[in-house]
Amino acid sequence: MSRPGFVLEVDERTPALLMHEGEGFRLEKLPLGSRVIYPPESLPGIRDVDEAIRQALAAPIGRPPLEELLYAGMRLTIVFDDLSIPLPPMQTPDVRQRIIEQVLELAAGKGVDDVELIAGNALHRRMTPAELKRTVGDRVYRSFFPDHLKNHDAEDRENLLEIGHTRHGEVVEINRRAAESDLIVYVNVNLTAMSGGPKSVSVGLASYRSLKHHHNVHTLRNSKSFNDPPNSAMHHSYNRMAELLASNVNIFQIETTVNNNLFPKQLDFLNKREWEWNLKDQASFLAVKRANDLVPPAKRRQIWHKTAAPYGITGVHAGDPAEVHPITMKNVLRQQLTEVNGPSDIGIWGLPYICPYNVNSIMNPILVMSLSLGYFFNLYRNQPIVRPGGVAIIYHPVQNEFHSVHHPSYIDFFEEVLAETTDPVAIETKFEEQFATDPWYIHLYRNSYAYHGVHPLYMWYWGAHALEHLGDVIFVGGDRKTTARMGFRSASTLNDALEMARERVGSSPTITYQHTPPLSMADVR
Amino acid sequence: MKRRWFGGLRSDWQLLRQSRDIQGRARTPRTAQPHEIVTRPSPFGTNWARTPVVQAARQVIQTGLLKPVTWNTVKPDVEGLDHLDNLDGPVVFVANHSSHLDAPLIIGSVPTRLRRRLAVGAAADYFFDKKWAAVITAVVFNAFPIERRGSDRRRSLAPQLLADGWSLLLFPEGTRSEDGWMTPPRLGPAHLCVQRRVPMVPVVLRGTFAAMPRDVNWRPGQHRVVVRYGKPIHPEPNEGARALHARMMSALARLWAEDELGWYGSLRAQAKGELSLPTGPLEIASTDSAPAEGPRAVVPNGSWRRVWEASRPMPPTRKKR
Repeated sequence: MSRPGFVLEVDERTPALLMHEGEGFRLEKLPLGSRVIYPPESLPGIRDVDEAIRQALAAPIGRPPLEELLYAGMRLTIVFDDLSIPLPPMQTPDVRQRIIEQVLELAAGKGVDDVELIAGNALHRRMTPAELKRTVGDRVYRSFFPDHLKNHDAEDRENLLEIGHTRHGEVVEINRRAAESDLIVYVNVNLTAMSGGPKSVSVGLASYRSLKHHHNVHTLRNSKSFNDPPNSAMHHSYNRMAELLASNVNIFQIETTVNNNLFPKQLDFLNKREWEWNLKDQASFLAVKRANDLVPPAKRRQIWHKTAAPYGITGVHAGDPAEVHPITMKNVLRQQLTEVNGPSDIGIWGLPYICPYNVNSIMNPILVMSLSLGYFFNLYRNQPIVRPGGVAIIYHPVQNEFHSVHHPSYIDFFEEVLAETTDPVAIETKFEEQFATDPWYIHLYRNSYAYHGVHPLYMWYWGAHALEHLGDVIFVGGDRKTTARMGFRSASTLNDALEMARERVGSSPTITYQHTPPLSMADVR
Repeated sequence: MKRRWFGGLRSDWQLLRQSRDIQGRARTPRTAQPHEIVTRPSPFGTNWARTPVVQAARQVIQTGLLKPVTWNTVKPDVEGLDHLDNLDGPVVFVANHSSHLDAPLIIGSVPTRLRRRLAVGAAADYFFDKKWAAVITAVVFNAFPIERRGSDRRRSLAPQLLADGWSLLLFPEGTRSEDGWMTPPRLGPAHLCVQRRVPMVPVVLRGTFAAMPRDVNWRPGQHRVVVRYGKPIHPEPNEGARALHARMMSALARLWAEDELGWYGSLRAQAKGELSLPTGPLEIASTDSAPAEGPRAVVPNGSWRRVWEASRPMPPTRKKR
């Protein structure tokens, strides 16, 4: 049985603790009395995933069995989450492949000819053929690519359809093919509590016109946190859109959840609690760390991005999106939630090499900001792990490095916008439209493998709540110039960072380290 | 390259070794240790100590060993035994407590008919935490365990003993005094007497702190000590435990004051409401030579001056009743 998550208080027995820092990791001795949030141990995965999928499709929640919804002559669209989830990518066969194959088996049996598969990538970069093949499997790929296995194109005006407006006046506009289908089967993977549910169709298949209603500074500042849907303005917007979609489009949602088994056997020590490392784990740590530190950076990145996670599947549930998602949420929280007693003066996070937007790519400084102050800071319920005006200490080298194919607008955002202001509201007011409508960025988004022009701004908004809440942000090991450009500070060591934090939190601050990955979500009481 | 290889490896190794033993094992941090449900040991049973055989052995020990040793260690003046003439038990003796001599002095001074059926309440965490100590305490003193603290206190044996006709000796302060003066007594004995409708006999012991204070287990010195029995206090019909408790405290205060005021003086002071529980001098003249109306210093608990006062030897001349 998996042990629950808990909060460790660092005492003299506590060995040095593991800290991720981009494409590397280190051991760090935290000050005595610091708190460390550990997630529950990885839950056991379902033994027979195919059987679980079969059962989910045969006995869905709030819907008739999928087989009964399929008929000859219908238009069937299967949509699936893109490569931004899960992280790291799943060892093949991907659970999306397993599900899609079973859905197609049923569709073939019922004589459905008009089938289209769409990656719900919204404003993310298109998935390459190789990435599509890895996600849906060889059999599906060979049968449908390229004509009927595609990426969603949020800038293809001809192929977008406005469904209507919510009672708050939000435009709901999604992929035309999906909207005009007799049935949308959405297959998702829920890695965090923010994923899935109403978000899947309303975001994955949406356009900029639709997305801007929830991807803005005001909404994100009022999403406390966006991993706690009842208290997230962003999810309230998703819900309104999902209600409108539910009355206009027939959606059959298949939701999956994964456990916290993030690293393969040879990196098993990354999944374990440090005082439980045996000699083999310690030898692995030394060997992997040394090799990782010595290997050339390009090769190192390649190795990390080839690392696939041996996830176990903890749940497969299908049916009506509104009825399925609460069960999915329970599974996510069961794996990630740890109760924490109150916030502290300083929060510490170690960032890994990957975030949703740099799969097979580079984690540029904007993505570092988004991962730390957006994703990790918001891994809480009730209140952040840092008090208002407290300090975030983050481990990452924050190198001034960008992927010119994947993140072209990020480069301009960093060089031009951040040189002028780091205030999210000022950025939104002055630059959003320019970046969102720039023809060159749109061209690259549609024809190359670039993120949409507005995406870096969204990443900056992602951290807007944290920027408003925190008194200071210090990157340990961060490039000085790059962090300064973003309005942050850098320190060489943890002691230096603590010294720098003194002016905000005094000389004996309380410290909480959120030990992640594996993902932990703090329920701060 | 070589330096880079081994320099980094050495620092990683050193960091990894911290808080680990030679085999690389780290102790589990305290807050990471699994929660264990503490199973309390079963209570030490003392019923065997009230069987006829053990009772007979106890009589021999108490009269042949305990009393002679105690009476050789100190010089006791026992007063007020006449108040016990009409008592056959069960009865609850309540006494102030500042020394290990207290129980032997009372056991050695009560009339034999009461002593034979007398059980002594003893701290479970002090006298019954080790088996050998528990056996000795039970045999010699006919002691039974009393839980002094903790949220999961066990049901006391005292009511059952009273119901079975045993008299009890209880020290309602719960522990020996740190400085010789009384601390506020607990309500337990008053509750017992009200519930079981048995009389309470106040007993004051003076000089025992000077003779054998806390932290001293054996100090023969022929100190004079006083064991003073008061009149039995019978619970009135419809009298509550708090009212009986107040009468008990008043009686203890009067018995204590007899040494300074004499019997009649203490009665008059009690009637005037001038007496209070002997909790020690909270105020003492700043110097012995200072005038009575001069500045007076507040003496905090545990102060050497309180101990000084409490350990002052009893005057050699007895005040007669």
